[in-house]
Amino acid sequence: MGGSLVRPVLLILSMYVFLKFVVPNIPGSAPLPSSLIFLYLMLTTTGIVIFATLSRESKDAFFAPILNFLTGENIGAMQAARYGFLILFPLLVGWQTYGSTATSDAPPAENRTIHPAPPGEYTGLSNPVSKTPENIMQGKGFYAAFCSPCHGGKFDGKGPAARGFNPPPANFSDPTTIAMLQESYLFWRIKKGGVGLPIEGMPWKSAMPRWEVELPDEWIWKIIMGEYDGAHQSPRTWE
Amino acid sequence: MKPANQIRPWVSGVGAVVVTALILSGAAPGLAQESESVSVSAPMVKGTLPVDDPNAAIWSTAKPATFPMSPQVHWPNRILETTVKDVSVRALHDGTQVAVLLEYADPTEDPDDAAAIEFMVGDKKAHFAHGQPMAQVEGGPVNIWYWKNKDKKGVDMNAQGFGTLKIQTHQDVKATGAFSNGTWKVVFTRPLATEHPAEDTQLALGGFINIAFAVWDGRKDGSGDLVEKGSQKAVSSWWYFRAEAPPDYSGYYYAAFAAALALGFQFVLIRKLKKGQAA
Repeated sequence: MGGSLVRPVLLILSMYVFLKFVVPNIPGSAPLPSSLIFLYLMLTTTGIVIFATLSRESKDAFFAPILNFLTGENIGAMQAARYGFLILFPLLVGWQTYGSTATSDAPPAENRTIHPAPPGEYTGLSNPVSKTPENIMQGKGFYAAFCSPCHGGKFDGKGPAARGFNPPPANFSDPTTIAMLQESYLFWRIKKGGVGLPIEGMPWKSAMPRWEVELPDEWIWKIIMGEYDGAHQSPRTWE
Repeated sequence: MKPANQIRPWVSGVGAVVVTALILSGAAPGLAQESESVSVSAPMVKGTLPVDDPNAAIWSTAKPATFPMSPQVHWPNRILETTVKDVSVRALHDGTQVAVLLEYADPTEDPDDAAAIEFMVGDKKAHFAHGQPMAQVEGGPVNIWYWKNKDKKGVDMNAQGFGTLKIQTHQDVKATGAFSNGTWKVVFTRPLATEHPAEDTQLALGGFINIAFAVWDGRKDGSGDLVEKGSQKAVSSWWYFRAEAPPDYSGYYYAAFAAALALGFQFVLIRKLKKGQAA
């Protein structure tokens, strides 16, 4: 008995293995969130049930082993598994309920937008300083003096003063930081600092100084050049 | 050894249970996501709170949380290197008062060694650097509990931006420090709730509140000037603090009720199915 259930069970199991372990390893892919895996498995199960109930015969063939399993009719050695299931099911329901109602020890979740939109006046500004080797060199010098204590001499966000800050200082050699931003965005972030962020950027947590108080605009533009050059990245441009 | 024809149904039965468990656990939120310290949890103690004893044995019942420190670089006057790299924090409460123990390595005891705890006050978020004004968000003030070795007392203060530090007219914070073997242990104590909610952070049981730390090593340089002073100090980011509420068993009650319901459902379903099969 149970032959007609082996295939659906194997199908669901292989679907799970595929979503959980194969999909994340496909180039350009990422691990799927458990809620999405759950949704796909539910869809698979629904498809199996629809397929199995297309005709009266297939429906009976599909449900008969399930009914027999539940009622314990003619299932022989499966009886032990049946008792196991009948005990496990209420326990699982209880466990799920506990998980969703018990008071949590976790602090409130924080969803920080890493690159929130800049104010309008900072979009599309172009760097007014000409890109000469001297200016880049000067920018790197300013960077070393003002930025490297946190953002690191290697532009990797691992400066000696970085360890206590949460969020950590940006790593400019990471392709998801300055490489996907325009120079005007960096100009805004350096000028206004952490306290210039909008609410979704959690301005109350950023240690980035408000450099407009201390550095002239021209120095900031040179620092931006120095950062891109030093981190071997290019600013994002309009195609 | 069981014969193969007996094992196969077993395997498919166990397989069905495993699949059910996998599907259910796939929907279970946040399974075992252990992370580094983000929160100080203060358990409730019965008996006396060690309000002025940094070395009391009862401190070992509180789990320590360790937070990394950085030199204060956000605002001038900056400092680029500070002595203290980490602060370990424990806390306890007795339902009326809270006691917070900061522990950190400092090679020498100096009269100007100092430490502070900072909290947000009220509903508005405050910048971790003394509640610095924010351009796009209306921020709130911070409440600072300060201790300096040579003063031998706690000071209760407020600030909303650098340069706005103000000592409160009502002092509710007590602090005591003990130095031994290159380690400072400093205890801060205050009632959980006070009559000044606009200035004093209110610690409601069970609620998470933002907390940050600052430490000054009171050593002097060659010319006799303090190296770490004022805004030149070691600071932490915002983390969380919670005074634990008395144990809540309602989660177990709900779980037992749900399991009983599921059991009842199974019983009724199987009875109905058996009747159907018999007919």
